[in-house]
Amino acid sequence: MKYLIKELKRHRGRTIASISGYTISTVFILLVLSVAITNEKSSFGILRGTGTHFIVYIPSNASCCVNCDNEDSKGSLVAEGVNTIMLTSDLIDSIKNIKGVRDAAPYLLYKLHEPKYNADISLGGIDISSIATKNNVCAVTNLVAGKFLSEKPNEIVAEESFAMAHNLSVGDTLKIYGGKLLLAGIVNSGIKPGKADIYAPIGNVRRILKENLKCISPGFEMNIILVEVSDSRIHSQVISQLKDRMKYFSVSSYNCYQPASEVMTIIEKASTLLTVLIFIFLIVFSAKTQMTSLMERSREIGILKSLGWSNSRLSNQIIFISLIQAFIGVIIGILIGYILILVMNSNQIRLFNLVEFNFRIRVIPLLIILSIAGGLIAAIFPITKLYRTKAGDLINNYM
Amino acid sequence: MSVHKIECISVSKKYISKNQTVNALEEINLHIDQNEIVLLKGRSGAGKSTLLNIMSGLIKPTGGKVIIDNNCINDITDDKLSILLSERIGIIFQSFNLLPTYTVFENIEIAMVPKRLNEYMIKENIMSYLEKFNLKDKAHLLPSELSVGQQQKVAIIRTLIKQPLIILADEPTGSVDEETAGEILNHLMTFKKENEVTLVIATHGNISEKFADRIYTIDNGRIKNL
Repeated sequence: MKYLIKELKRHRGRTIASISGYTISTVFILLVLSVAITNEKSSFGILRGTGTHFIVYIPSNASCCVNCDNEDSKGSLVAEGVNTIMLTSDLIDSIKNIKGVRDAAPYLLYKLHEPKYNADISLGGIDISSIATKNNVCAVTNLVAGKFLSEKPNEIVAEESFAMAHNLSVGDTLKIYGGKLLLAGIVNSGIKPGKADIYAPIGNVRRILKENLKCISPGFEMNIILVEVSDSRIHSQVISQLKDRMKYFSVSSYNCYQPASEVMTIIEKASTLLTVLIFIFLIVFSAKTQMTSLMERSREIGILKSLGWSNSRLSNQIIFISLIQAFIGVIIGILIGYILILVMNSNQIRLFNLVEFNFRIRVIPLLIILSIAGGLIAAIFPITKLYRTKAGDLINNYM
Repeated sequence: MSVHKIECISVSKKYISKNQTVNALEEINLHIDQNEIVLLKGRSGAGKSTLLNIMSGLIKPTGGKVIIDNNCINDITDDKLSILLSERIGIIFQSFNLLPTYTVFENIEIAMVPKRLNEYMIKENIMSYLEKFNLKDKAHLLPSELSVGQQQKVAIIRTLIKQPLIILADEPTGSVDEETAGEILNHLMTFKKENEVTLVIATHGNISEKFADRIYTIDNGRIKNL
């Protein structure tokens, strides 16, 4: 140990150069990871939830709900323009059990011809609290006027296009579906697979259909299940698992999860690749430094060998020197990187004016492991040389 | 138990550079018995240093072999060679080969490191040798702060302190004045008397033949007379 410390002190310039190599690499890796993680976090937050929703239903050729008492109502359970059959709530639990499903919610979508408006008006019964409803049908965030749904029995919200077509405003009362419904709010949900003309809480819609339209079928609960997947990258796997288990289901998904998934994979791979490249640079640089050190010290090492110092003793010295340099370098690098990130953030310096640098404590062990690994790998080359060269050749620099 | 005799059998060494091959040694055959003092005489460049380096296992011969204690020194493992060099063979280099950034004390101490001795014992031993060689007050100086003669003395202490059974000395008095040369020879002979040592000295002629039990003359890489 005494000679090890002495060796480090003796060649201050080389020691400083070697430590600087580790420091610079550490700072670079720290900054890359800092940007990559921030970028990944913000991008993934958006991309992970992109296109991660779909609806499932079972199409039917019947024009009206089975056992419906009111044959004259000319209403039917629909999804995407086709009639459907009813589903039971136990299916929701089955779907929720599929790996990768974040949420599943019931949806009751009924279409009825209203002579007063001379139009087929679709009424969607939704579970307001579900994320699956938010992404497949509508949510409070889509509200453009009035207020969103509450549990009040006769309140509804209407799609903006429907309200405009029939000249409706918030507070209007609609005499439809065999009763009076109060327009509490107007939403613009955009393009959604479960879009309807008007929406109400699912419990209220069940009551309207049973009481006003006399739809008294047993187990009358829903005709569509809305599904939300946890990550766009596993979207297609979830759909195929669902199709394997429930063969009669029709699945409808907007395939925008695919580009999102691809972008996420690219981001992940890019930051990993960049880290690997810097790591390779670190190893090459430190190996070169250790090699130069061996060349410079070759005479001394030859003398030590001639005095009976074994190859293993000298190798240990090279390894420890390399590790000490790596360790000091990485610690200094982490400190500099931390200060740099603090300074950049306090001065609002962003990458491309967008991405913020964030110091993550959890990358510290990774950086230390990378540097120590770099130090070990860098020591391999001079040690190989040491074993292969005789003492006399080292003394005479005849390598 | 140990038989510290040396035998060189058909030893040759070639150095190959870009366009030419230099035959540093050709078909060297010699025998050195234990406790003998042997002079290897020859002009500069005759091949004496190369032969000593091959005898100590520091370089490999191109052909032939060197037998020490019934071991072919050129074929033994690096670990065994390290043990031989730390315990049995001491080398005194022509150019001293002191580490320039180590003090006199440290330059001697590094020879003791492989022996794994008690630190106090090492210190006592070094100081006693330094006293014998009149260098006690120079222990903390760097080699560059010493005269050439003093540097040579440090190099000799570094070899003797290991208590080797074989000493291979390359021009130990070659670069010092007559008085210092006498002093150095005196130290070597005293050590030889006190210990059973085989002493091989390479010289270009400034060491009296009266010290030697056997003399080999090397000329252009060949033994001239037996």
